[in-house]
Amino acid sequence: MKAFQQNLKQLEAADTQVLGVSMDSAFSNKAFADQIGVTFPLLSDWGGDVSREYGIYVDQYKAARRVNFLIGKDGKIVEEQIDKEAIDPKKIVDACERKKVSR
Amino acid sequence: MKLRNVSKKLAFWLLAAAVVCPAIEAQTNKSAPQPMKLKVGDVAPDFKLHYFDGSDLKEVSLSQYRGKSNVVLAFYIFAFTGG
Repeated sequence: MKAFQQNLKQLEAADTQVLGVSMDSAFSNKAFADQIGVTFPLLSDWGGDVSREYGIYVDQYKAARRVNFLIGKDGKIVEEQIDKEAIDPKKIVDACERKKVSR
Repeated sequence: MKLRNVSKKLAFWLLAAAVVCPAIEAQTNKSAPQPMKLKVGDVAPDFKLHYFDGSDLKEVSLSQYRGKSNVVLAFYIFAFTGG
């Protein structure tokens, strides 16, 4: 999440809204956001319905995988980062920049 | 004569290894991360989720950004972990 915060200005300049999602409660997410200085919303997927719908819930861990999706204005997925790869969002930031240029 | 037998045997085992090894490799790759259900190019399913802004619970849906801005959805495992 911190990594997205560091790139937030760049992402916003490319018309991109960042939303964090986890299966924590909305309140613990807020505490987490305050602690690490995140200013974008951290959504609560309490119960994991959305994580399941996105196919990233792992029964074995009772938790969602770490995944970043970049979704275009048309609602289609432009880029994905999965598990370890998702810790550094550079691929997503670069994709946003490219979209900005191509417009 | 004996030498020919040895090289025949050697050739056999080399051939066997060439067949078996890729099969084993393919097997081990299968246990690697499962493929994603949603692929690049798929329509992202809409959702309605909430976050707490410090005073109220706010509702956010994916469809509210349709035609307006791109959205990065960053699923993370638990609060208070890295990344």
